[in-house]
Amino acid sequence: MIEVQGLEKSFDSRLVVKRLSFQAPDGAITGLLGANNAGKTTTLRMICGVLKPDSGTLLIDEVALDSLGRQRRLGALLDHIGVYSRLTVRENLTYFGRLRGMLPTVLEKRVNEAISILGLQSIADRRTFGFSQGERMKTALGRAILHSPQHLLLDEPTNGLDIPTVRSLRELLRRLRDAGTCIVFSSHVLEEVRALCDSVVIISNGRLIAQGSQTEICSETNTDSMEEAFVKLTSSQESSIC
Amino acid sequence: MLNQSLVIARKEVIDGLRDARSVLSSLMYTLLGPLVVGLVSLSPVLRGASRSPLPGLISVFILVSAFAGGMNVAMDTVAGERERRSLLPLLLNPVQRRNVILGKWLAVSVFGVAGLMFNLMGFSVVFATSEIHLNAPWSSLLFAVAFGMLTLPLLAASLQLLLSTVCRSVKEAQNYLSMLMFLPMGIGMFFVFVPAARQAQFKFLPLAGQQLHLQSLMDGRTVPLFHSIVLGCLTLTLAGLVLLVCADRLERDESIYGN
Repeated sequence: MIEVQGLEKSFDSRLVVKRLSFQAPDGAITGLLGANNAGKTTTLRMICGVLKPDSGTLLIDEVALDSLGRQRRLGALLDHIGVYSRLTVRENLTYFGRLRGMLPTVLEKRVNEAISILGLQSIADRRTFGFSQGERMKTALGRAILHSPQHLLLDEPTNGLDIPTVRSLRELLRRLRDAGTCIVFSSHVLEEVRALCDSVVIISNGRLIAQGSQTEICSETNTDSMEEAFVKLTSSQESSIC
Repeated sequence: MLNQSLVIARKEVIDGLRDARSVLSSLMYTLLGPLVVGLVSLSPVLRGASRSPLPGLISVFILVSAFAGGMNVAMDTVAGERERRSLLPLLLNPVQRRNVILGKWLAVSVFGVAGLMFNLMGFSVVFATSEIHLNAPWSSLLFAVAFGMLTLPLLAASLQLLLSTVCRSVKEAQNYLSMLMFLPMGIGMFFVFVPAARQAQFKFLPLAGQQLHLQSLMDGRTVPLFHSIVLGCLTLTLAGLVLLVCADRLERDESIYGN
């Protein structure tokens, strides 16, 4: 389980995440929903240990860990998916496995599994230069799931993907969730959240404005759909700021 | 963990070697000195001249080669990674930032040392095939030159890495790293053309010390081993301090956001 308590972050005296608290349980896909610049990516980057929070606590399985400790327990695919174009898919994955200290025999097995799960067999030994967005995204996803993390963070992972790839990604995420993985999935696309997420965390201007299942959020806002609920919640938040 | 740094270094070396265009351009940079000296040595003006400018020219080119070999890899390894958006995925792994920098520095150093060695091999070919005469035979100088210069590519690698870490794009890094090449060139030329400035206190100053070391060898004077070792240690210490600054830069939020 990932637990965020009172997280704050500012850049150049501009507060972008404001006392944010939420929980993402194991065996569930938690959607982090918000408009552009809502603070989703910054929040994920803090959980992943690449940005330092100004204040607040980050708990992984109820333990407050330092950034390296969190990175050991997490797999992440954030907005920067850069893969090494002069390395093959297999070499890309092997490199990151080695960085995580995976034993050679285990690593080789896991690399083959990741390649198989993501349907990358035909291009596994090709350098990634010239790969399509979908192929690069799959390679990056392989990097995130290589070490079978108990917690997986994904920042808008369907951006630029074609429909079959989006469908296979959804299937993969459901399989991982059913196996007990805690998945946090950030998106500004309601359709994605509706299709995948068990619970939703709505953020606006760096603040938490709602958390719960989609049914709970609709019922609390007296709306029929997540889209209406989202608009109602974010507009009320914006008017309170104005 | 040193192991993680070695994993990063290995990947950077493989990645660097597969970039054939960069390898070729670095090779040309390092062999340019021997080529120029070989051409200049054909000049009839130099034949029978009492004081040849060639030893000074050679020492400047050797100094520059220590900076040339790793330049492209240094540019690519941090500024390039940031531009290609692969730096963040790397920093998502449980690796201390100082180990990331150490690994990248090792890789840049490998290319830097290789550049220096190719340069010396080039000069060996020039001396074997031309009529250039130094005060001591090149074959007897080669080991002393290589030993005295060995730490310079390591310092160059750390300085190049620092610039690459500070710059936001490959183009920006390319500008500053090209300017950095003028540092050994300027210092080398200064001591060649202003011999009065060759004071004893510069003997242990990294870069200036190496230039004086080279000049002494070319003039046929011996350089005490103790001097070379002290200069090497001071150069390595400076390289280490620059790497600490690099690691500090990489720890900052700016290394992640804003790109």
